[in-house]
Amino acid sequence: MNKKLILLILTIICLAGCADKELKVPLEDVGLLGILAFDYIDEDSYKLSAAMPQFLPEAKENTQIFSVTTDFVSKGIVEIETVSDKKVVLNQLRVVVFNEEFARNGDVQKVIRHLYRNAEVGNKVLVAIVKENGEEILKESYPDKPSINLYLNDLLQPSINTAFMPNTNIHDFVYTQTNPVFDTIVPLLEKQEGKIEIDGVALFKKDNMIEELLPREGLIIQALLGEKNLAPLNLTLDKGEEKEELMIDLIKNKVKMKSNKSIESPKLFINLKMEGTLIEYKGYREDELTTLASITKLEKDIDEQIEKDIEELLEDLKELKVDPVGLTENFRMYYKGNWDREMTEKIISKLEVDIKVTTRINSTGTLD
Amino acid sequence: MKFKKFIRAIKSGDTDKASPNTKQVTGAEIEETIELLKKNTTQINDVIFKKIPTNEGIVTMVYSNSLVEKMTMQVMVLIPLANHLNQIHQISEKIDPADKTEIISKLMGGQTLLYFHDANLLLSIDTYSASTRAITNTETESTVIGPQDAFTESLQVNISLVKRRIKNPMLKNENRIIGTESNTEISLLYVEDIVNKENLEILKKRLDKVNYPSFPDVSILKQLIEDNPLSPFPQYYMSVRPDSIVHYILDGRIVVLMDNSQAAIVCPTSFMDMFISVEDYYNRWTTATLLRMLRFFGFFLTIMITPMYVSALTFHPEILPYELLLNLQESRSKVPFPPLIEVLFIELIIEVLREAGSRMPAKVGQTIGIVGGIVIGTAAVEAGLISNILIVLVATSALLSFLPPIFLMSNTSRFVRYIFILSAGLFGLFGQMLALAWLLAHLLNLSSLGTPFMTPVIPRKAGDLLDGIIRFPTAFLKGRSGISRSQKK
Amino acid sequence: MNVDKRKQLNGYHVVFLIQNIMIGTGMLSLPQDLSSMGYSLALYPLLFGVVASLNLWPMIWICSQYKNENIFGINEKLLGKWIGKSFNLFIVVHLTFFIAGIIDDYMNLIQTTALPEQSTTIPILFFLVVAIYIVNGGIKSIARFCMMAFFLTLPLLYFLRWAIEKGDLSHLLPLFNFNKSEAFEAFRKGYLSILGYELIMVYFPYIANQKKAYKHALIGVWISIILCFVVTTVSVMYYSEWQLEHVTYSVLHLFKAGELTYIERIDIIGITIWVFLVLTTITGYLWCAKKGIDSFRSKKKISHVYVITIAIYIILSMPFSKEVKEKIFEAAFQTSYLMLCWPIFLIVVHLLRKKQVQS
Repeated sequence: MNKKLILLILTIICLAGCADKELKVPLEDVGLLGILAFDYIDEDSYKLSAAMPQFLPEAKENTQIFSVTTDFVSKGIVEIETVSDKKVVLNQLRVVVFNEEFARNGDVQKVIRHLYRNAEVGNKVLVAIVKENGEEILKESYPDKPSINLYLNDLLQPSINTAFMPNTNIHDFVYTQTNPVFDTIVPLLEKQEGKIEIDGVALFKKDNMIEELLPREGLIIQALLGEKNLAPLNLTLDKGEEKEELMIDLIKNKVKMKSNKSIESPKLFINLKMEGTLIEYKGYREDELTTLASITKLEKDIDEQIEKDIEELLEDLKELKVDPVGLTENFRMYYKGNWDREMTEKIISKLEVDIKVTTRINSTGTLD
Repeated sequence: MKFKKFIRAIKSGDTDKASPNTKQVTGAEIEETIELLKKNTTQINDVIFKKIPTNEGIVTMVYSNSLVEKMTMQVMVLIPLANHLNQIHQISEKIDPADKTEIISKLMGGQTLLYFHDANLLLSIDTYSASTRAITNTETESTVIGPQDAFTESLQVNISLVKRRIKNPMLKNENRIIGTESNTEISLLYVEDIVNKENLEILKKRLDKVNYPSFPDVSILKQLIEDNPLSPFPQYYMSVRPDSIVHYILDGRIVVLMDNSQAAIVCPTSFMDMFISVEDYYNRWTTATLLRMLRFFGFFLTIMITPMYVSALTFHPEILPYELLLNLQESRSKVPFPPLIEVLFIELIIEVLREAGSRMPAKVGQTIGIVGGIVIGTAAVEAGLISNILIVLVATSALLSFLPPIFLMSNTSRFVRYIFILSAGLFGLFGQMLALAWLLAHLLNLSSLGTPFMTPVIPRKAGDLLDGIIRFPTAFLKGRSGISRSQKK
Repeated sequence: MNVDKRKQLNGYHVVFLIQNIMIGTGMLSLPQDLSSMGYSLALYPLLFGVVASLNLWPMIWICSQYKNENIFGINEKLLGKWIGKSFNLFIVVHLTFFIAGIIDDYMNLIQTTALPEQSTTIPILFFLVVAIYIVNGGIKSIARFCMMAFFLTLPLLYFLRWAIEKGDLSHLLPLFNFNKSEAFEAFRKGYLSILGYELIMVYFPYIANQKKAYKHALIGVWISIILCFVVTTVSVMYYSEWQLEHVTYSVLHLFKAGELTYIERIDIIGITIWVFLVLTTITGYLWCAKKGIDSFRSKKKISHVYVITIAIYIILSMPFSKEVKEKIFEAAFQTSYLMLCWPIFLIVVHLLRKKQVQS
């Protein structure tokens, strides 16, 4: 018995010797791409730029940018490898950026699916659209930032003040693309002198971008999606004698939707409950806002205003026949049979919405 | 060898002249025995034959000089021989000159033989008085709380240390002789109405089968009576603390003490016992639980941390956070070896340090500790031989490996770690998990005295969980553990 | 230690043997196998549970008629020596291919995720060595390993947390949105994922409390079914229908949704821990195949395990094209349905030949 065991172990050791041929590349010889940027050239080809961090203290630039023209992602990566001293891998890919032209005309879906299929790539890769040129965003110098890799990744992470933008990773992208009741929304970036700004939200219809939404509209979409942490809401009330402007820090947000389950004459009841603190106010009521009664009145005015805003947005979406909120899910839930894209468009174009917003202002700060 | 021949000679003499005990002893017979003894101890120079004239005629005295102190000789034998002969008859024991094996073992055990020529009488007096070490506190298993005394190398003292803690007539100590050459005395301690008879039976059978020349320490015996001698894991608990041994005796285990050996072994033992220190029972239950968790999970951590480094760096760089990865890349950029070699290199250096530290005289050892610490801690990193993150991991895992209260277990964890490092070097995390599967399967297959080694994990008894990784408040701990399969619950 | 060496499995052992052998690589791709049902697949494992419970009954019944015989022995008794033995040989060959199929499946997965750019021949070898090590400990050792594997892998459920948070419960509605052909297709593809309980026919003689065996087996089956149900439900919540159909190993992608700051990719840890679940399945089948050879050659020998393992290794390292391999394994998987129906046939034979056999 023991002899057999020893024999077995010996064979294993011998065989392990054979395995040595497949040499693994040690970590320090691996170039970990952090950002991929795609710029549109024509229907078949695009320019692929990639940012690779340089860790050696001797290197002058902490990020190396490669740009190649290609028609396949993997082909582009191979080409990058020919000019890099390292083995290029996608294991730590964090951000994928498309320029607006690519998003409007190119096949975004194909690129994303390639990455989604690749087992090397994690799900946390964030997707963003950039106005004008992706390569330039990578190449621009940001004097007060350690590296573009970290900067862009941190910028796209959800934080309270940018919560109007969707935090879309490649899973979300594929999910909204392939789910007939959803249309994809992706944050839209713009390069400025020495910094990058989140400018708004890019709205997709089917495979391509069709429209740019303002941060305000993005915020409403996020609120309707039931997102818990929302950006502060800036409102202008022009009802009544004078224009009023106010800012509310939202603490709680709850949305309830109910459909009439009818495909022919779809109707949706949306009940949005918001809770927050009034942090700034400019207008004629400034001195009155100390009593509960006046606050209640203000709440009502805010409700009406938000209702109006939402209605306007939905009207726009209706015209475009897109549904980034997934409103039609409320009809699909009760529909037996196959649901496809046409159904969604049919519903959204006929959709009647009944919106009810309830805002509650918890406090107006510590100063009276 | 001499000794063996000697015994054989006496034994052959024994077979030649087999005489029943009841037979009247004649002077010639005793004379012959003494002659035989003399003949066979010509090269054993500390055996002394002396003829002393007394009131009852000539007495031949035979004893082993090195096992009997002069003072004892004086008080026990010489003074009574000269003055109070009846005292000799009171304390001595009559022996049969035909039983030569017993005579020689008595002589070698430090007894003094007295042959009264006139009365045809062969007597023996227990004068064994080899000097022993005093009871001191333990340096290897010291605790902050609790009794500080430890076993010594004397079996008598050790038994007394146990017996003064359990004043119960049911506490038995069965002595027996073991070792074909050394004739070492061992003692089985157990409480008769608690211990599992089947366990006792198995243990005795195994002890009967032991055929080994000599036992410098009880740990040798331990390896011979283990269920799976090939396993890297110790299957019996070993301790020099009387309080911990007493705890196990009362739990229904069997304790084996050996003469000239400080430690005692406890059979059977479960895997969980290896992480339990008696101090846990002296501490409050919250503290004890915390410490036990540290020790238990520390064992798995210590065999996992450095392999994890190998597999993360060679196979799965994607599982590390980006910032950490950049740091690692930077610190690894100067290192010429692949991660596997790097880890093996530093692990071996730590082993060398530890081994050197324990072999060196205490005063030199301290210096070596500092030099080694500085050399490995900073110089190696600066020289670009290893990455600084690895230093942190190796140091942590080295510290973790010393957590188990049983030193044998911490040795095991160090050995097992190499298996994990190698398998991580071969197949990364997959290799590590395969190794873990092997380890768990091995532990599950192990048994200690026929009882599963992983007893609390495969619960024999739900009550075991009260005294497992979580130590419940003392009021809950009245029951005995499942592994001892005790008669009393 | 036990008085009767054969009766060594207690209730817990039976529960976990059944439960853990059922869960192997099948669960990883279960949502994809059922994807023809669309979102309605979430509830489908419950149907499997019902079918499996019904299917278990004839197995236990026929075994309890011959308390000290396993399925191989029963075959010989009922069908006569020659037919019985040749059918037993067929079962052994089937099991061998079945095991090879499972290993191939898992190793492909390991190759794509944890060991890219490496051939799998050596990992397979090590995997088989560990499997042999466990099998040599006997059925009780396997049962204990099953328990350990269950508690070790259970924390993986926690990693589904993020997928649940992101998912949409409304996907579950409408509840029964499928037609007959879709359901049949899903059943054909998906039922293989919960195979493993039929092995009770082999280790039945080792069960101490045979009267309660059915109850214990049912508990085991339903633990597995509930786990499958959790997985399918979370998948349905997290994915779109297209993704359900096209994402291979959807469970892996569920782990990918995890967001921990200190570990970026939970899926790799998840998939490597899965080796425990695959090992339990493999060792269970391997042990049964060994028993098959034992009864075929009418003697017990450890070397039988080595014979099967070497056969498996040869099958796996044969230079077949991927397509041929796939076809062979598919055939082996489909043959399992025969194993499931076999006890019903045996019951019929038993009732017909009752007097003959007993006399």
